[in-house]
Amino acid sequence: MIIVLKITKGGKMSKVTKIVSVALVGLFTTLIFVNSVFANEVNIFSARHYDSDVQLYEKFTEKNGIKVNVVSGKSGALEKRIIAEGGTADLYITADAGRLGAFQANLQGGLTSSAIKSAVPSNFRTSKWVGIAKRARIVYFAPSRVTGAELAGLTYESLADPKWQGRLVIRASNNIYNQSLVASLIKNNGKGKVAEWSKGMVKNMARAPKGNDRAQILAVAAGEADIAVANTYYLALMLSGKKGAEQQAAAKKVKPFFPNQDGRGTHMNISGAGLVKGAPNKANAIKLVEFLLSEEAQNHIVNNTFEYPMIAGVSPHPLVVNMGLDFKQDLKTKVVNYGKRQADALEVMTAAGWK
Amino acid sequence: MTRYNIWFFISFLIAGIVALPIITVFFSFFSETSNYFTLLKNTFLFDYINNSLIILVSVLVITFFIGVTSAYFVSFYDFPLSNFFSWSLILAFAIPGYIFGFSIIAFFENYGTAYTILTNLFGEHNYNPLIPKFDSLLGSIIAISFSLFPYVFVLTRSSFLFQSNNYIEVGQNLGLTEKETFFKIILPSARPAIIAGLALVSMECLSDFGTVSFFSVNTLTTGIYNSWLSYDDLNTANQISFILLIFILLLFSLELYSRREAKYHQPSRGFKPINKIRLTGKKSIIPFSFCLTIFFISFVFPVSQMIFWTVKFPKYFQDIDILKINLNTLYLVGLASIFLVFISLIINFGSRISKSKILNYLTNFSISGYAIPGVILAVAFITFFSNLSDLITNNFNVGSTKNLFIGSISGLILAYFVRFFSLSFNGIKSSYEKINNSIDESAYLLGYSKVKTFSKIHIPYLKNNIILIVVLISLEVIKELPITMILRPFNFETFATQAFVYASQDLLEAAALPSLFLIGWSTILILFSSKYILSPKN
Repeated sequence: MIIVLKITKGGKMSKVTKIVSVALVGLFTTLIFVNSVFANEVNIFSARHYDSDVQLYEKFTEKNGIKVNVVSGKSGALEKRIIAEGGTADLYITADAGRLGAFQANLQGGLTSSAIKSAVPSNFRTSKWVGIAKRARIVYFAPSRVTGAELAGLTYESLADPKWQGRLVIRASNNIYNQSLVASLIKNNGKGKVAEWSKGMVKNMARAPKGNDRAQILAVAAGEADIAVANTYYLALMLSGKKGAEQQAAAKKVKPFFPNQDGRGTHMNISGAGLVKGAPNKANAIKLVEFLLSEEAQNHIVNNTFEYPMIAGVSPHPLVVNMGLDFKQDLKTKVVNYGKRQADALEVMTAAGWK
Repeated sequence: MTRYNIWFFISFLIAGIVALPIITVFFSFFSETSNYFTLLKNTFLFDYINNSLIILVSVLVITFFIGVTSAYFVSFYDFPLSNFFSWSLILAFAIPGYIFGFSIIAFFENYGTAYTILTNLFGEHNYNPLIPKFDSLLGSIIAISFSLFPYVFVLTRSSFLFQSNNYIEVGQNLGLTEKETFFKIILPSARPAIIAGLALVSMECLSDFGTVSFFSVNTLTTGIYNSWLSYDDLNTANQISFILLIFILLLFSLELYSRREAKYHQPSRGFKPINKIRLTGKKSIIPFSFCLTIFFISFVFPVSQMIFWTVKFPKYFQDIDILKINLNTLYLVGLASIFLVFISLIINFGSRISKSKILNYLTNFSISGYAIPGVILAVAFITFFSNLSDLITNNFNVGSTKNLFIGSISGLILAYFVRFFSLSFNGIKSSYEKINNSIDESAYLLGYSKVKTFSKIHIPYLKNNIILIVVLISLEVIKELPITMILRPFNFETFATQAFVYASQDLLEAAALPSLFLIGWSTILILFSSKYILSPKN
């Protein structure tokens, strides 16, 4: 619009031109005026958008007087915007370590305060991003159709065993939780072996992958399959009744099983926050991360999202406690590998025909 | 007047802005690329094309069947509620494909609404295996078909209304049966309108992102999104975009061509309106139940599912700031309408008084914003403004201007402008062209200035048309998902983004309330504009 004005300035302006120009300038001033700026704030780009998170941010604002600005969305578009916008985003929050790892080049170091280091075990953080809460990706089974003997010593690796043929449900290969799980398998077993494993998995599927994690658990409850792979918090969510009485009853028909107990332990993933390169409110961002790792915030998170706490001394929600806490977590495989091996993971799954 | 006057520059600028996304996509062709394309080509590219084609062909078949059949019934027959159906069937426009998708999943999933109903009726039992599952590809096809069939219905119906009863009498004189009259006379003469409707359906179908991404079906559009965003592979994104754009531009030309054809089919002299055949008793059962079923599936079903959830999970009334979202929506709708209508009026006025042909060619660019899928447009938009800002910052001593158009209301409005300029400009143009030039000349003779002619003569004449365009823009803005999702500022939700954010967090029951508001506003707007949409003139 500025160009238009320049062109007309030289010559004679007709009445129409004047009106048009004034109106255009007016419109644009209104539009620009709308984008007001606050001083003491922190800007979050979140691919994980629970209402409970918003309540948590409100608590933070009350305590510290720092306004929390949030824009949520799908991780891909958010990342593109963080890069394009440059110098606006402070924190990038996701529900998977794989995404943070893959976005590493656009994050900066700085999450190294003693409060953070003492709160979070070293395999769940780097200097650029830290875990806020934990979740495990486990197996669910129908006790009426799967015996204890069949389950004994079950590992992620042995899910490809022909004995599960036509009995397994798991979601699509484009899902980031699956990509992280397969990335951890590649780290531990090598790409070649996992490529074979993927083919076995595809053979064992009771149906072409569809739906989210909760739909996998419901498929086992409904008798469509005998075992499912899904994250831990979904079962607790259904058992809580928040999804209605029918799903609460359905959830009681399946039982959780924690794989790889005789070996490295069950696959763990994190919800985490990354410090973005060029963050305009770096100090506030670090403050917010420290707040999210405080006992108060951790209690809030575990009771709303049914995740495992990141810090010691906080108990998960009672429904999660009931699923069992004395399982061996895989603390050996650093979650940073999920991002590093993500492309390989997708490649072996797609090559095996995993939809 | 010289050829290169202010009108030329304004039009040139507008055409340039509208063409930005396409230009950006093609310029990105030379960017660096990863090895994702090789992987994609060897494995899934074929699947993407295949899925897009399966969805497209199925949606075309379904929308053709539903749209033409229901239009035929309400145009040629008089049966119980036939007048009601003639406008209520377009209410399906109020339900975006993704919200229809939420309803399908909610109703048919294991332990979903259908299960609850069966349990309440017949007692506890595992009904899950008995309930059909409409997910993935099938779910997408159904959701997209029922949200798009009104295009075919509206255009076919308008064309039927123009068919003179003479044609039908000719048929009867030739001894044709009702069926033969339909297939040999009525259907062929409505062909251009049907093709125009189907071309619009195809374009919307190919650029759909919300529905297929909710059902996690990979299509060309999600393929572009994934390769561009998740794998940072612009080259692949461009190659797929190229395939998709060729598809869409072909369809667009087809639509334009068919519309032109449709005009020739409008009779002038000796026009007799259709004598509707009165159907009573048994004979009325088929058209009545057909229209009722379509109305039920396309509108009553999703609305009831959303109401059911809102009532079952009342907690979200407290969690969702409905007032704020209403205000946000009103704000966007207001700014976008004013901006679009204002610019469209100016360009139309300019091209009228300058009588420049170049202006006409330039404004043909306006189609490109509509042809490119919203999600691609949004990403191209941020890429462009990011590069532009870097260019400005590097060459002049100014700070970053990125926040002016990325993550701001101004950026959002500008992107809407690119997307809906074609709708707004062509809508006003069609009405403007009906004002005879001699009226302007008479006004000048009476001593009216150009401005006065514009404000005292053109504007009052265009008033109804402007209102209709504002309603249509509002409808599009309220339902718009991908652009708003990607470009919206901090702490800013619309009904569409709020519903989709909840849905992607597996909180479909929370998505019900915003969805219901979205449907409510859209329904009001459709009812308001239905007399224009259904009039044979449009």
